[in-house]
Amino acid sequence: MVVEDEGVMWVEKYRPKTLDEVVDLKDIVESLKAFMRNPKTMPHLLLAGIPGTGKTTVALCIARELFGQNWRTFTLELNASDERGIDTVRDRVKDFSRYSRSAFGNVPFALIILDESDQMTGPAQTALRRIMETSSRTSRFILICNQSGKIIEPIQSRCAIFRFSKLDRKAMIEHLCCIAKKENVTLSPEAAERIVDYAEGDLRHAINALQTASAYKDGFVDEKIVSLVVGEASPIQVQLMIRKALFGDFIDARKKMYDLIGSFGFSGSEIVRQMQRELFKMSDLTPEQKADLANIIGEYDYRLTQGANSDIQLSALLAQFAKIGRAKGEAA
Amino acid sequence: MVVLNKKAFKLPFMEREKFLLLMRLGLNYDKPSGTFCLKNFNNIEKLADTLAEILKVDEVTFTQTCAVCGKDFGCSDCKYLELCATKNLPFQCVCSECLREGKTFEDVG
Amino acid sequence: MREDLLWVEKYRPKKIADVIGNEEAKAAFIEWLKNTRRTKKALLLYGPPGVGKTTLVNAAANEFGFRVVEMNASDTRSEKAINRVAGPATAFAALDTFTTESKGNVLFMDEVDGIAGNEDRGGVSTILRIIEDSRIPVIMAANDPDLEKLRPLKKVSALVRFHQVRIPMIIALLQKVCQREHVKAEFEALERIAENSRGDVRSAINDLQSLAETTKTLTLQDTVVLSARNRDVGMDETLREYFSVKSLLGASKLLSYLSVDYDDLLMAVGDNLPLRYTDPEDLAAAYDFVSRADMFRGRIGVENWHLLRYFFNSLAQAAAVSPESYQPFTLISPPIRVITLFWTKGKRTILDAICGKIGRRCHVSRATAKTDFIPFLKILLANQKADEVVSWFEFQPEEVEFLAKMSRL
Repeated sequence: MVVEDEGVMWVEKYRPKTLDEVVDLKDIVESLKAFMRNPKTMPHLLLAGIPGTGKTTVALCIARELFGQNWRTFTLELNASDERGIDTVRDRVKDFSRYSRSAFGNVPFALIILDESDQMTGPAQTALRRIMETSSRTSRFILICNQSGKIIEPIQSRCAIFRFSKLDRKAMIEHLCCIAKKENVTLSPEAAERIVDYAEGDLRHAINALQTASAYKDGFVDEKIVSLVVGEASPIQVQLMIRKALFGDFIDARKKMYDLIGSFGFSGSEIVRQMQRELFKMSDLTPEQKADLANIIGEYDYRLTQGANSDIQLSALLAQFAKIGRAKGEAA
Repeated sequence: MVVLNKKAFKLPFMEREKFLLLMRLGLNYDKPSGTFCLKNFNNIEKLADTLAEILKVDEVTFTQTCAVCGKDFGCSDCKYLELCATKNLPFQCVCSECLREGKTFEDVG
Repeated sequence: MREDLLWVEKYRPKKIADVIGNEEAKAAFIEWLKNTRRTKKALLLYGPPGVGKTTLVNAAANEFGFRVVEMNASDTRSEKAINRVAGPATAFAALDTFTTESKGNVLFMDEVDGIAGNEDRGGVSTILRIIEDSRIPVIMAANDPDLEKLRPLKKVSALVRFHQVRIPMIIALLQKVCQREHVKAEFEALERIAENSRGDVRSAINDLQSLAETTKTLTLQDTVVLSARNRDVGMDETLREYFSVKSLLGASKLLSYLSVDYDDLLMAVGDNLPLRYTDPEDLAAAYDFVSRADMFRGRIGVENWHLLRYFFNSLAQAAAVSPESYQPFTLISPPIRVITLFWTKGKRTILDAICGKIGRRCHVSRATAKTDFIPFLKILLANQKADEVVSWFEFQPEEVEFLAKMSRL
């Protein structure tokens, strides 16, 4: 019997291990259970939604339910952004198919979980589709992504698509309180609200924030501590950088940008990626505004791959934001 | 770490390919005495790394020759070690005694 | 200071033996000169500035009696120039007999890397042609080269590498000069000058002279000004001119006579742009141009130097967005990117490894580990007994230390 490592990080320790434990995603879970009752009918899956909403958890639960204790033997976990290219993905899939036992009980396939599949370029996804086809006898793919629109149509049409939406506040607060109780942490209701505010629907962020906050004053978390913790974490810094730029405060925004590079070692592309995420979360912007800003981010994301200097491209990006912000201010 | 005398040092037996690489990187081999010496200094860093590989040590360093008094010494005790752009490499230098005593180049013969 | 009173001139080596440092390079150089069966007729001396490349060539000429014909490789009327200067009578053979009666000529081109970079001024192809056409040996000198640019030259040349002259050597030399000039200097002062010079003998002697100018006794205290003086005066002036241009034409002209490194200029412009343009629209427009310049720069490789034209074009446009809005301002110095110097390749590798471990344990990608976990781990490890966390992730001691250091940034 394989003993599962409980996990020191709470995001892992309290990750649901069975589909039944995943309480907030009733519809998704119901459909999936139908497939699991007769694994032979299970298609490739595409799980799409913003970060921290349970996609990886569900994928891992499926693996456990299909294969039991030894699920790791029959599951290959891959991250598209970690692998150097589609060729490495292909090689790993091939090796896995070749050397692992590809059937267990009445499950006639092994599982390949490919996370961040929307990070793959078009051509890479085309190649992925071919890989999916050639290994479909022995493997099923669970593709995970943030934006299903970035997955090419031929892959989408081969998958059953499940959309994960932002978890609602109540559910998140409940989760946090539940964990706090189990860990003997005193969590004030205001603090819980504050954490959920900051997390904007991303449960992973929320749990990490909770764990970090509880480390400050050994098991006691109030609003002040949450502010402290959250203030030091980078996603907030990125949001602040965006807001400062939009407010027209270019020099301060740029200072924040250098802080991010200096304190966290982020590359230009990493900062841009976070900007995209945070932009999406910002609730005080209209969808049109978000779209405009997202376009600009996209343009400079491209330029980053062409240019040599992150400092320059990011500064230019912030300058465009400052210009838009000013226009917005004038129009308001 | 191993200290080699740049004028003549021995190496363990190696395969032909490595030997040719060393020649390309700037060593000369004297058959009668069976020793190597440094001939060309253009690729000295790569050479030092390759020698370290062959000798299975972390680092290979060379003796320095004092330009004033002519004695050989090593880099490890030099106070400028961390600032030196060519540390541990076999270039001309001035030993700490000569430097302290203010002996300059003209004081030599 | 009158030229003849300059110590760099006064103490310029007239014999090969007097050139300090780079003994090995000197030996290789002489060997090439003496070799009657040379396979390569061109020689490339490369290495940091001020270590004696040019000096060596002249000292050798002095000692062996050949003439150095200096040629500016930016002179595109090359063919005529060579013939005019070198003459048809010179031949290889003349150089092979090293007696004082030798009347051979040698063609010398200094700073070929600066020239090779600018398509407007001849480029590598011109130099190659010069080498090919020449019937006398060709010697070239380059500073710490981005040797990629010079690869075509390296193919046809023998190479001799020069290194920074070592600190003890420079100190010994400075001691000699002090003796001759009757300057009493503290050992620590000479040390500081030598350390500051980065192996550049020329600047060490210059620094010594200007410090000793006002006093015949030099103390360590006196050398404090050295660090302040090393600020790039050339860049500051260029930036001021750049930001105050009156028109696009003016900007283009300025950039065509650039005396500073254009990569450095690009960064400095990027740093200072918001000080120049306070209006958000102007700033956005200017940054857009700078961003384009950066893109062109990123694409320029050995094969497509012509893109440099667009680089300068965009940079010029950035300067001329609104000439009328110019107000003098204090330049940002030193360059901001000092902040990013902490993130060396080594550091990034460690961070990457840490993210990999986090990713494996928490089922996320390295990138996600970096953005979603590291910020929290930093704080977590700083605030509580870290043993459990460290062993669960299987962090190595150096990785733990790294995370601890990160918190203090």
